[in-house]
Amino acid sequence: MATIRFSNVAKSFDNGKVTVIPDLSLEIADKEFVVLVGPSGCGKSTTLRMIAGLEDISSGELYINDKLVNNIPPKDRDIAMVFQSYALYPHMTVYKNMAFALKLKKTPKKEIEEKVMWAAKILDIEPYLNRKPRALSGGQRQRVALGRAMVRNPEVFLLDEPLSNLDAKLRTEMRAQITTLHRKLQTTFVYVTHDQTEAMTMADRIVVMEKGEIRQFDTPQKLYNEPADMFVAGFIGSPQMNFIDARIVSEKGKLKVVFSGCSFAVPKNKSAVLEKYIDKDIILGIRPEHFLSRDEGDVSDKCKMNVVAEISEMMGSETNIYFDLSGKRHIARIKTERKIGAGESTELFIDPETAYFFDKETTKNTFAVG
Amino acid sequence: MKSRGSFGRGLVYVLLFLIAVVFLAPIVIILINSLKGNFYISSSPFTFPTEETFVGFENFIKGFNQSDFMRSFANSAFITVASVVGIVLMTSMTAWYIVRIRNKFTRILYYLFVFSMVVPFQMVMYTMTYFAFEFRLNNPWGIVFIYLGFGAGLSVFMFSGFIKSIPREIEEAATIDGCGPVRTFFTIIFPILKPTAITVAILNAMWIWNDYLLPYLVLGSGENKTLPVAVQMALTGGYGNKDMGALMAMLVLAILPIIIFYLFCQKYIIRGVVAGAVKG
Repeated sequence: MATIRFSNVAKSFDNGKVTVIPDLSLEIADKEFVVLVGPSGCGKSTTLRMIAGLEDISSGELYINDKLVNNIPPKDRDIAMVFQSYALYPHMTVYKNMAFALKLKKTPKKEIEEKVMWAAKILDIEPYLNRKPRALSGGQRQRVALGRAMVRNPEVFLLDEPLSNLDAKLRTEMRAQITTLHRKLQTTFVYVTHDQTEAMTMADRIVVMEKGEIRQFDTPQKLYNEPADMFVAGFIGSPQMNFIDARIVSEKGKLKVVFSGCSFAVPKNKSAVLEKYIDKDIILGIRPEHFLSRDEGDVSDKCKMNVVAEISEMMGSETNIYFDLSGKRHIARIKTERKIGAGESTELFIDPETAYFFDKETTKNTFAVG
Repeated sequence: MKSRGSFGRGLVYVLLFLIAVVFLAPIVIILINSLKGNFYISSSPFTFPTEETFVGFENFIKGFNQSDFMRSFANSAFITVASVVGIVLMTSMTAWYIVRIRNKFTRILYYLFVFSMVVPFQMVMYTMTYFAFEFRLNNPWGIVFIYLGFGAGLSVFMFSGFIKSIPREIEEAATIDGCGPVRTFFTIIFPILKPTAITVAILNAMWIWNDYLLPYLVLGSGENKTLPVAVQMALTGGYGNKDMGALMAMLVLAILPIIIFYLFCQKYIIRGVVAGAVKG
């Protein structure tokens, strides 16, 4: 049972000259798998390192299990950490690497052996126990790093971009393994990554960070369906959401969205919120996968756009079409059996129900919570 | 093109062979002359011993008896071992501190160590000798302390280069596992530094074992004298009269331990020098 609570935590370096995290408040529930995600330098790793105790906290309070841990050294926080570079001890065998922390705690030899064998079995690294890390592949090393964390039976697992050094295939495998591990161990996992796919597939809840601030903290589904602002909308989803300059107008008492020579009626459930934007510019957000082609069923009630495909990428079941709209490049992912060549004109359809509307000034989602 | 390439390579081999001969010649000359009679050493120094000139181990026994060999050998051994252990331990810790704690003080400290490498010994030897006597460092323990100073520059430089290539995360993992700084150093960092530590040990051991000037200045030719000083002192008679045979034999005995030590550890030298340059 382990909860983690940040209460107005700030972190700065160089005697306060560089502030990485201005004011962070966050509550992670027991047994939750929380992923911290964001671009490089957003403070996600610093946040994780503060939980580990590897970084001091400049101000504010950090609680693990309702116990203030600001001044508690890493070894007494009951945490285990897995690093991006694995950080295995190169001169020790796999067994010794895994047993090291227990040995320091003066755990009986038999118990150490039991725990190491238990972890090795789960992670399928039993045949390598007598090898040194340099004789292992990247995936095996990462499993050893996970094993080293597991044997300590910690309250909190901290993982700092653990899959970044692995190739794509192995990454997918390890992703599943970590998710399974979380289910088996039933402990709190805090995972840092810059890869939104990892975040979306593994997390119970995701913290999207930018410049040391939390932009949104919610379930993957909520982040995808109800992004709080343009940053989150752009960060979650691949390829990223298209942002199109648009305007809300009122025609015969009905609201319409007008952009780049196209227009569509604002869906009824969104009219009330968008009323205050009449005759104002907004940002229209369309996910690439929400564009439709004529081949995808009845499109008679959808908004039609004629675009010229600049680049067309056949992805197998889907095709990515890159097109230009008012001088900005956008992307649509459509299902079509027809091969669309570069420079070819094609029709795309927008379902108004799937459109997002962002305030141009604040970049906030006009429908987002609050 | 191919024949030109192999001709060039052949030429390089010949050149390297000649250089090797030039470098090895003094040792070979000492070795062959140590087995010859005194008279023949002067008359035909470059010939191998023949039935007529060969005297067996006579020179060795003579030299052994004349030169207080065992005592000075023990002095040299103590000074070399103590200095090398001291240098390896202290400078590896210093380098770890300098690399991991990045501030103005450590930067200045690092440049001071590097600077100490380029200061010639002759420039500081008089003041150093004066202070050595003033602070009563003119004994085997004292000279170990002095060697620590003279050996620190290169050693800190080499250790720092290697430590930079050790990911910091390894130390952080150790911290989380429950190690304090001292334990982290001795159980994690120092074992990783082993190849560099061996290189540093070999380089310093060779230099300290063979050093003549510093022990001569500080310890003199008394009971604390080291092997190179003892060999030179004992075998020099009056009016420039030298027992060349015994001298050669003693030189062979003096260089033998360090050559054995080198051969034993030489594979680590290359590994240690390369290890700092390439990420491990």
